[in-house]
Amino acid sequence: MKELRIDYNLKDKLDLYVFIPVVSLILLGLISIYSATYANTLAQSNFEKQLYFVLAAILIFLIVHFLPTNTFKFISIPSYIFSILLLILVLIIGKKVSGSKSWIGFGIFSFQPSEFAKIATILMLSNFLSRNNTQINSFRDILFALAIGFTPVFLILLEPDMGSSLVYMFLILVLLFKKGISLFWLIVVISPAMTAISAIFGLTTFIVTLIFLLGVLFYLNKDLFLNSSVLALNLAAGFFADYVFNLLSPHQQARILSFLDPFSDPLGTGYNSIQSMVAVGSGGLFGKGFMNGNQTQLQYIPEQWTDFIFCSISEEFGFIGSTLVIILFLVLLIRILKNSSQTKDEFLSLTQVGIFSVLFIHFFINVGMVIGLVPIIGVPLPFVSYGGSSLITNVIMISIVTNIYRTRKNYA
Amino acid sequence: MNKLGYYSFDRNKILNVLLWIVSLVFLIRLFQMQIINHKMYDEKSAENSIKAIEQIPFRGVFYDRNLNLLVDNVPAYTLRITPAGYDTNLNKILDAVLGFEEGSVSNILRKNRIYSKYVPIRIKRGVDFKVISWYEENSNFLPGVDYIVEMQRAYPFGVMGSHLFGYSKEISAKQYKLEKDYYRPGDYVGHNGIEKSYETELRGKKGFKYVLVDSKRKEIGRYKDGQMDKESIKGKDLVLSIDGFAQKTAEEELKGKRGAVVAIEPSTGEILTLVSSPDYDLNQFSYVTTKEFLNKIYNDPANPLFNRATMSLKPPGSTFKILCAIVALDMGLIDKNTTIHCGGGFTFGRFFKCHGSHGAVDVLRAIEKSCNTFFYQLIYKIGLNNLKKYAMEFGFSKKTGIDIGEEAAGLITDESYYERIYGKNWPRSILASLGIGQGEISVTPLQLAFFTALVANNGKSFTPHVVKGYLDNNTNTIIKYNFDEVKTSVKKEVFDIVKKGMFLVVNGNGTATHIRSKDYNIAGKTGTAQNPHGKDHALFIGFAPYENPKIAIAVVIENVGFGGTHAAPIAKKVIDSYLTKGKFVYSGKDVFSYNLGERIEN
Repeated sequence: MKELRIDYNLKDKLDLYVFIPVVSLILLGLISIYSATYANTLAQSNFEKQLYFVLAAILIFLIVHFLPTNTFKFISIPSYIFSILLLILVLIIGKKVSGSKSWIGFGIFSFQPSEFAKIATILMLSNFLSRNNTQINSFRDILFALAIGFTPVFLILLEPDMGSSLVYMFLILVLLFKKGISLFWLIVVISPAMTAISAIFGLTTFIVTLIFLLGVLFYLNKDLFLNSSVLALNLAAGFFADYVFNLLSPHQQARILSFLDPFSDPLGTGYNSIQSMVAVGSGGLFGKGFMNGNQTQLQYIPEQWTDFIFCSISEEFGFIGSTLVIILFLVLLIRILKNSSQTKDEFLSLTQVGIFSVLFIHFFINVGMVIGLVPIIGVPLPFVSYGGSSLITNVIMISIVTNIYRTRKNYA
Repeated sequence: MNKLGYYSFDRNKILNVLLWIVSLVFLIRLFQMQIINHKMYDEKSAENSIKAIEQIPFRGVFYDRNLNLLVDNVPAYTLRITPAGYDTNLNKILDAVLGFEEGSVSNILRKNRIYSKYVPIRIKRGVDFKVISWYEENSNFLPGVDYIVEMQRAYPFGVMGSHLFGYSKEISAKQYKLEKDYYRPGDYVGHNGIEKSYETELRGKKGFKYVLVDSKRKEIGRYKDGQMDKESIKGKDLVLSIDGFAQKTAEEELKGKRGAVVAIEPSTGEILTLVSSPDYDLNQFSYVTTKEFLNKIYNDPANPLFNRATMSLKPPGSTFKILCAIVALDMGLIDKNTTIHCGGGFTFGRFFKCHGSHGAVDVLRAIEKSCNTFFYQLIYKIGLNNLKKYAMEFGFSKKTGIDIGEEAAGLITDESYYERIYGKNWPRSILASLGIGQGEISVTPLQLAFFTALVANNGKSFTPHVVKGYLDNNTNTIIKYNFDEVKTSVKKEVFDIVKKGMFLVVNGNGTATHIRSKDYNIAGKTGTAQNPHGKDHALFIGFAPYENPKIAIAVVIENVGFGGTHAAPIAKKVIDSYLTKGKFVYSGKDVFSYNLGERIEN
């Protein structure tokens, strides 16, 4: 009797700790998009469009939520291959929007393959890492996992879309970490990125980073051959990064550099950073009120309904509003992590951690850049920012989480 | 290393901690920005989006003493360019449309480069309406170009008043630096005349309209529905002491001549007429000043910009004999009955001639006939230092303190002056010609007029001034400005004698009997200043009516000859138009009521 009663309880069928924060964030997003686009004649239709996206997202949620849970493992390989093909296709027939070739259009409808490929990559990596014979601390398997993860990264960098690439890299790292990669191998994996970043800051930082890295590696592992290979890899990464940095479009270079000192060029590259901080700071405790944020209403921040939507919320609803957003994300992300811990099936557990990592890195970069802690990197705030591809991708990921929760007893 | 663990549960915990750290850092940062530093960001935000638009008030207008409108404001179109949004390819088109020489627009833009490119630059004032309608039709193709309606000066009474009123022009970079707290680049400020000296009264107080602008500085609405706006306050409407009719008459009389006329109301020091000729059209300065006009005016040998009334220095000639007579009488060196024999001249080292042989002359006859011999002798009795002392009491050799523009101090020498040049034994023969107002002695027409006013009013008057006060539009009364009283130490009896002498000049057998009037009695004195460079300068000082002086006047005409012939008739016409033509409505009270509605009906 007791078992039956629980079965009929909504809380038992639907993970409300996931569902309620997501619904709240989507509603908050709609309100803010309405406000942020109200004064912009070109973007006024975006609120209405977002409403349709939400309707589509509800439909997709209902489908994915009720799929048999083993579907996800089943479709992981085909969906991954399909995604890679789309990412190649977008480079050929894609539309260029603000400097990046990241959109595929079908008539009036267009989408970003890099968004949907996130799900496929999570599934594919989880699938690979959860195989019985995967040795996470073996060079071969790490390389294989990196190959799966970096194929989309490479294609997305060609668009170029810096923000999405970062999301993928973080996803790969978290999944390897979750799978149990050793500290040594973790550092080996991270080190090229570290040296690459340090190379941008100049030769001295680059050399210091290399020496430091070498020290750590020898402390963790005495294998001379392996360490020399890693060093060689890092040297290559450093020079490659310097080369790529010089290839980057000037606005991206400027964005990275202006983060160092946004006030050095207040009307140029630091402009967005300053204006978004002014918007947030001027919100105060209670905010300026819905539709009353002058920074928002006067279009000080370009395209604020997308990547800078958190500005509008912070300005118009103040510290209360921005805190609410943080808390909603905190609740959602903690819950996904907890669900992942309680899922005994390794594929599903990894999938949920992958979903966690994608949502978390979006949250971190987006809010961080608005409040001046992270360079301006264009990634949307999940569920809140305007954008169909992003919303639907995120809702699919959430429905995977609720799907697993729904059938959790089968895997307990 | 092992502590990291190989168990997924532990690793989730680490991710959990990472999540908490990030969230807490975000919350702390948000608290810092939105609560602690809120004020700073709020100010920045307001600065960003609220633009204060200056409301330039109407400049005060000028009325004459009878409240005739002399200087008014009329609307005019001004075309502007805001460099930030402007396409310089349009330069040529604008040059053509505005009728400029090619390259003019680009020149103006270059000159104004020092200012922010978001500050509009005035390209042309007084733009024709045709140009404005052309702009309206094509404004879509003219980014960064706009026009505003500005007020410009108009002179409805037909009085030129070039040197009196002065004009306004765009503030110079130098002056802007000094008064940054009020002016903005492109503001117009009084440049000379009354416009300059009463600038702070005339300009009123700028207002501010606060509007919301978007990130492109485009206006999109009022800030707080205009609650914060500050209304501009109109400049004060000045009531001049000038009599429009007399001024107009003097201007007409001086046409084609070089010289000046200054008339003063003796009892108040109020200037009734102040004309310097040649003059120039203030409209040419008020609207856009063309290059041709500037070239013409700067290259004119007669120098129209020079204010002869307050700046030109000429020997006073025989008009100065009045002062010598006053000094001698006041010092008791002579009395009414003292006579001196005139045999046609005077010898002191050399022979100084008189223009006649007047026999035994007393002071009255000496003034009437302008006898040189009498005054040659008088000056040696007076002595140079005493002459200078009295001269300064009557406003010579120093600035009068008139309330407009620049003024020259003039020169009356004293003994130390010659000692410096010639040493202790300076030639005393110099004195003789000083006694008849020739030689090393110079005065301005204004000083002469003021001197005459002091004589007419028995040694008492006020610092000469052209502005009486301003019209208070709320109460329709004139609020008067205060001016210092000027008082001489000379006894009244002395003035009676001298004035009688001046009466005889016109009404006896004197040098200006041809300007005698049957309506009132004019008293005066002619003068002819010797000019080593050409024809003599003609002078006349006088006042009327003799019994109760209402106007004192000085006329100086350059290079025409005898004062009685050339200066006196002009003086008469000005006196005439003041005393008879102009309706004398001023009640004489400090504050009087005036119905503005009546003026509009008129």
